[in-house]
Amino acid sequence: MIAFVVRRLLAMIPTLVFVSIACFIIIQLPPGDFMTSLQALAASSGSGADKAAMDNLRHQYGLDQPKAVRYIKWIAGFPRGDFGYSFEWKRPVRELIAARLGLTVLLSVLSLALMWLVAVPVGIYSAAHQYSGTDNFITALAFLGLSVPDFLLGLIYLFIGIFVFGASVTGLFSPGLADVPWSAAKVLDLSSHLFWPALILGLGGMTQLIRILRGSMLEVIGQPFVRTARAKGLGERVVIRRHAVKVAINPLVSVMGMQLPQLISGATILGIVLSLPTTGPMFIRALTSQDMYLAGTFLLFLALMLMVGNLLADVALAWIDPRIRYQ
Amino acid sequence: MTDSMRIARREFLRRSAIATAGAASAVYFPVSRISHARAAAPAAYMEAPMLADLVRQGKLPPLPERLPAADDILVVKPFEEIGQYGGTWRLVWKGPADFHAYGRENYDPVLRWPRDPHGPIQPGLAKRWQFSDGGKTLTLFFRKGLRWSDGAPWTVDDIIFWWEDIETNKELSAAPHVEWVVNDTPMALEKVDDSTIRLKFAGPNGLALQELAFHGNQWPLNFERFGFFAPAHYLRQFHPKHNKDVKDYKLFNEKADDLNPQRPAMTPWPVSVYRPGDAKLIATRNPYYWKVDPEGRQLPYIDRLELTLVENNEAVAAQALSCQVDMQYRNMDLKKFPLFVSKAKECDYRVIRWLSASGSQLFFWPNQSYGGDPVLRKIFQDKHFRIALSVAVDRAKINSVAYLDQGRINAPTVVPDSAYFVPAVAQMYQEYDPKKAAEHLDAAGLKMGPDGKTRLRPDGRPLEVTIETWLTGGSADLDAIQLVASDWSAVGVKAAVKTMSRDLYWPRATGNAVQIATWNGDRGIAPFVDPIYIFPFDERSWMAPAFGTYYKTKGRQGEKPVGPLAEMQAMFDQFKATVDRARQVAIGKRLVQMAVEECTTICTVGLVPVPLIVKNNFRNVPEHYTQDWIIMSPGNLDTVQFFFKKA
Repeated sequence: MIAFVVRRLLAMIPTLVFVSIACFIIIQLPPGDFMTSLQALAASSGSGADKAAMDNLRHQYGLDQPKAVRYIKWIAGFPRGDFGYSFEWKRPVRELIAARLGLTVLLSVLSLALMWLVAVPVGIYSAAHQYSGTDNFITALAFLGLSVPDFLLGLIYLFIGIFVFGASVTGLFSPGLADVPWSAAKVLDLSSHLFWPALILGLGGMTQLIRILRGSMLEVIGQPFVRTARAKGLGERVVIRRHAVKVAINPLVSVMGMQLPQLISGATILGIVLSLPTTGPMFIRALTSQDMYLAGTFLLFLALMLMVGNLLADVALAWIDPRIRYQ
Repeated sequence: MTDSMRIARREFLRRSAIATAGAASAVYFPVSRISHARAAAPAAYMEAPMLADLVRQGKLPPLPERLPAADDILVVKPFEEIGQYGGTWRLVWKGPADFHAYGRENYDPVLRWPRDPHGPIQPGLAKRWQFSDGGKTLTLFFRKGLRWSDGAPWTVDDIIFWWEDIETNKELSAAPHVEWVVNDTPMALEKVDDSTIRLKFAGPNGLALQELAFHGNQWPLNFERFGFFAPAHYLRQFHPKHNKDVKDYKLFNEKADDLNPQRPAMTPWPVSVYRPGDAKLIATRNPYYWKVDPEGRQLPYIDRLELTLVENNEAVAAQALSCQVDMQYRNMDLKKFPLFVSKAKECDYRVIRWLSASGSQLFFWPNQSYGGDPVLRKIFQDKHFRIALSVAVDRAKINSVAYLDQGRINAPTVVPDSAYFVPAVAQMYQEYDPKKAAEHLDAAGLKMGPDGKTRLRPDGRPLEVTIETWLTGGSADLDAIQLVASDWSAVGVKAAVKTMSRDLYWPRATGNAVQIATWNGDRGIAPFVDPIYIFPFDERSWMAPAFGTYYKTKGRQGEKPVGPLAEMQAMFDQFKATVDRARQVAIGKRLVQMAVEECTTICTVGLVPVPLIVKNNFRNVPEHYTQDWIIMSPGNLDTVQFFFKKA
């Protein structure tokens, strides 16, 4: 097992190098660079930086060097934890990401937890009572949840918050609490501000899990070993919990590996809608303004997250299911 | 400085009469006029409670030691009434790329744009100035005893530091800004004493005063990278020339940045708490601020600014609608006006509308230096063709479809609140008249083709033009562009609209590759500090970018213009070379008039209002005002005299 994990971790390095090259090429595909983007933005938002001023900035930031040189400079800093420099924020990328990573992780973990806490019991119940009224109701809700994009739910939440309750629903803290030291009231305020975004963010994944679990449960329930368990005279609860769920949960664990990056990218759009100080809005902004090192680092992190998620899922699978063995 | 804004009724009536005579459909409107009375120096001085506390605790010297010499304190006359101390002004911004979001509240250059744009340039850090030697020397007399926000004295050495170590330092500035280079020679500085400096030019510099109001701020004003002074005592330690341990200019740029909380400033609210990426930026009053109100209260009235970071205009609206802003003038969309009004009572704010200083929300430029097709270029150069395009546009329809009927028809690239406004041409070629368009097209030799729909070019091919824009779906302006294209097609000029990303559009347009370029209009109040929309000034003048490049590079690049466009460039040379304001205004008006008569720019509707949210107890904000980034609105209204009225 340990050898497996180590091997997988080592295999990530060449993958990451490849991904970093791909990221670097992709973020440079649009014509122009941060400076042209800035100059155009300047002119449209009312400003007049001219070409000479921009060429000068370009030189300062090393944008006039060949692409290969820029790539090597960027990648060479990684082992030192130096991910390059953000042009827009005029700060090292590492500082910017670090400041926002905590809340992003908190939101994602919260959302993942909510997802599982709701999806597992509901999915099991739904399968155990197939075609009952409740199952049909859950199925309908699940399809609704799958088809409504989270940013729309975010907007609806925003609308209800502002126009029905007249409450501050954007950001992470109520006005007046953001700058005071941590206290019980502040923690309560943060969790009330985080709960709804976490739920909205997790809703899509949650309904997906419900459907997967329901399908997989139905398949398992029909299998001979479940019939045997029943024939032994075990109670229905034990049959479902001890025997069926243990097997049916496997696909869920595999899906989890993919859900991690999905959560992060979902949090991007939701973060913009709800003005959350997470990494998402900064990522999109970096992409549109061609703040290349910031955008590239974010892309790399997403790729890393996908790989780590998959690894974790594989490990979890092996742990849950004794039939699975990695060489 | 100012006392009240009153509508100049006579002026209004006169202009309405002219407007009505010009076009029956045109609706005219009051012009904001704010007088600039100077107040007498007060007898004693007072300070904000939060500073008085610091003085009591011994953390701050007493007020008289912080203010400039008694005769040199700037007395600001409030707009409506004397204010009260206290409060936090909450705003919303979109980060450092939201240009001037912080800079406009903190507008304190060497000289100031007047509150009334028709008035003369006002004193700022400099109390007076004098031209001598036929306009070749400008002596600036600064206030004695000015101090940076950290208490260090401000002297003209801070200007010399900017000039020698920033502006003429190739590592920090590619080249000094054009306004300080006359006849190819950069200006020379001569220090007279700590508060007096002489600027010496190779020829008369007629733009100097306006530029000191426009570019006279503390360097670098975010990404703009212009200014006129910098805190030498603070920045020298980060400058490779003065500190051998510093290898490159990255640290210097970081430390000189406007949003660095350690950086001393001369503005009312220097940044106090902020790290890049933070959700909130806090700026707190400058204890050494050098202005008082007529009763002797040190300004500003408001203690603090709090800027909340959001990602887009929708989030700005969400903040405003959940009662989280006190006064917000940026990133407010007109289409949300009814939404803002719906929350006015609950949030206890008023929604006012300031006009935007754009003769037209959108400009269209047939590219007279177009290089891609000589036949089209010849057509674009024909005045008849351009007039035909202008009168083919149904502006009333555009106004109602795209701008809630809030825009006004206004031909020139300047607006009525500008000193260069020419009422006589305000409505020229703005009437919707397809018949007249057909006549002008006939006069241009563009005959109707056999299909009866599309006209033919002189070479027999159908007359097709491409309008290029960076605007994408969903914006009101793109709707307007589509309407213009269909209006042009209706008179036989087949117009296609091509949208692309801004990053793609910008190099195409400046590179002379676009047939008909579009852009949002602005600079309608003081256009001549950067007259790109009046005549081919540089590569951003899309009526003829190649001619503009020629002008900017003095013939080294680009193409030599001929005819009226060349004449206009020569006229601007005269504008720059005179320090006589009356003569400048006369030349400026002639230039504006020529631009309209030549129909270099095709307008839709302009002066579209921008909604502002202002809390009911947030006072001293005028209701009628034309805003523009050039005059750093609302900076020229003296943000220091805004205040929260206690019940």
